[in-house]
Amino acid sequence: MIKLENIHKYYDSQHVLKGINLEVSKGEIVSILGPSGSGKSTLLRCINFLEQPTSGIVEIGGKRVDVESASKADVFALRTSTGMVFQQYNLFKNLTVLDNVMIGLTSVKQLKKDEAKKKSLDILERVGLTNRLNHYPAQLSGGQQQRVGIARALALNPEVLLFDEPTSSLDPELVDEVLATIRSVAATGKTMFIVTHELQFAREISDRVIFMEDGVIVEEGTPEQLFTQPKAERTKQFLSKASRNK
Amino acid sequence: MENLLDLNFLIESFPAIVSRLPITIGIAVGSLVLSLFIGVFTALIKIYKVPVLSVISSIYVSFIRGTPLLVQIYLVFYGIPKIIYFLQIEYGWLQSADVNSIAPEVYALLAFSVNLGAYLSETIRSAIESVDRGQFEAAKAIGMSPTAMMLKIIFPQALAVAIPNLGNMFISTIKDTSLVFIIGVVDIMGQAKILGSRGLAFFEVYIAVSIVYWILCIIVERVLVKIEKRARRYERGIAA
Ligand SMILES: Nc1ncnc2c1ncn2[C@@H]1O[C@H](COP(=O)(O)OP(=O)(O)OP(=O)(O)O)[C@@H](O)[C@H]1O
Ligand SMILES: [Mg+2]
Repeated sequence: MIKLENIHKYYDSQHVLKGINLEVSKGEIVSILGPSGSGKSTLLRCINFLEQPTSGIVEIGGKRVDVESASKADVFALRTSTGMVFQQYNLFKNLTVLDNVMIGLTSVKQLKKDEAKKKSLDILERVGLTNRLNHYPAQLSGGQQQRVGIARALALNPEVLLFDEPTSSLDPELVDEVLATIRSVAATGKTMFIVTHELQFAREISDRVIFMEDGVIVEEGTPEQLFTQPKAERTKQFLSKASRNK
Repeated sequence: MENLLDLNFLIESFPAIVSRLPITIGIAVGSLVLSLFIGVFTALIKIYKVPVLSVISSIYVSFIRGTPLLVQIYLVFYGIPKIIYFLQIEYGWLQSADVNSIAPEVYALLAFSVNLGAYLSETIRSAIESVDRGQFEAAKAIGMSPTAMMLKIIFPQALAVAIPNLGNMFISTIKDTSLVFIIGVVDIMGQAKILGSRGLAFFEVYIAVSIVYWILCIIVERVLVKIEKRARRYERGIAA
């Protein structure tokens, strides 16, 4: 289970997250929608402390951390219990596909090499990249790179996967292979937070959809509720604008 | 007939000069290794904006760039024994060190390391900063320690970026080691000087020693090209 209690984030004087409360049960898939600058990325990045939240409580898998008194060990625990998939993939460019996935196991979890390799091969099989093990990121298509990104995030077997616009940098024809990979991971019962502009995808994959604006959660509900009967005026506007842009 | 050159003397001086190559190479390679540590250390201090230390390292870099290498060599050669002596007398530290037994090669190595370290510092800093932020974040996100991140992800890529610059500086250093004879080190240059004054044939020995430097630098350049290719192999967009 994942719980966020009253998360606030300031950048200097700019108030970017204004008290986020969220409780997500195991296996739940939550999509986060919202206009640019609403704080979606910041929210994900506060969960794994890529950004230090200003105040609030983050709880993941029974580990409860008051962000204002978070120790190094707390941050490490949060980071290893989350896996992040970045818009720009952010693969380690000097490492092969296999090593990108293995490195978390060998240098963070301190697994033996052959054990790490076995696990990594399993995961790479799931994202369909066993034929690219010894390629470097520069030798892969964007879609393949993002699938490695997903494999790397899965390697530490995190409680939750955080996706920040995983398909936004991709050429349109490569979006589907990545969405298919995300679907297949979803089918394994992994808890996921997905920030996305792919409304159709969000609608079909999510258990819950959250609409954020200006640092607050404006509205949340099942995809059915949110997409067909949005309550808040701002949600309606966002959805109609987003569907017109399609 | 007056000869421009005593060719025999020139040719015969080679073995003696070449026999001192280990000194020249030793000082150059040794100071490259030490200066890489200094350079990485000062670069990290700057990148992480460590208070106090970053001011000190700025002053250090500025001083080294703003003073002649020759002066720096003298400062190390005359300064370090004095400092050690002072510490022994005033504080009773370093009692086991015998100032008179320190070989001039050690001073040369120190002086060149400190000098090259300052020049490398900027190159290394910009090479580290050339690695995109996203990879730092990805490393953090999987829980890697800063040390593991630096050693396994950032340095290998920074090195690949820095190699052309590092290589040029290393080659300059090889040539600059010709200064060390002034503190009594007999490197290839020192050996050439000795031979030259013995045979009163300076032109010949300096031709010989310049050929040795030249060949050495050509070999080093070739090796560097190979190393760079290898270090950057991951950048090529074709199947490995
Ligand atoms: N490192 C930072 N320093 C200062 N301000 C930042 C930083 N990161 C984000 N912000 C600001 O915080 C606000 C929220 O940004 P965030 O990236 O979370 O929005 P977003 O909802 O992910 O937007 P987008 O859809 O464009 O990705 C923006 O106003 C942004 O300018
Ligand atoms: Mg964003």
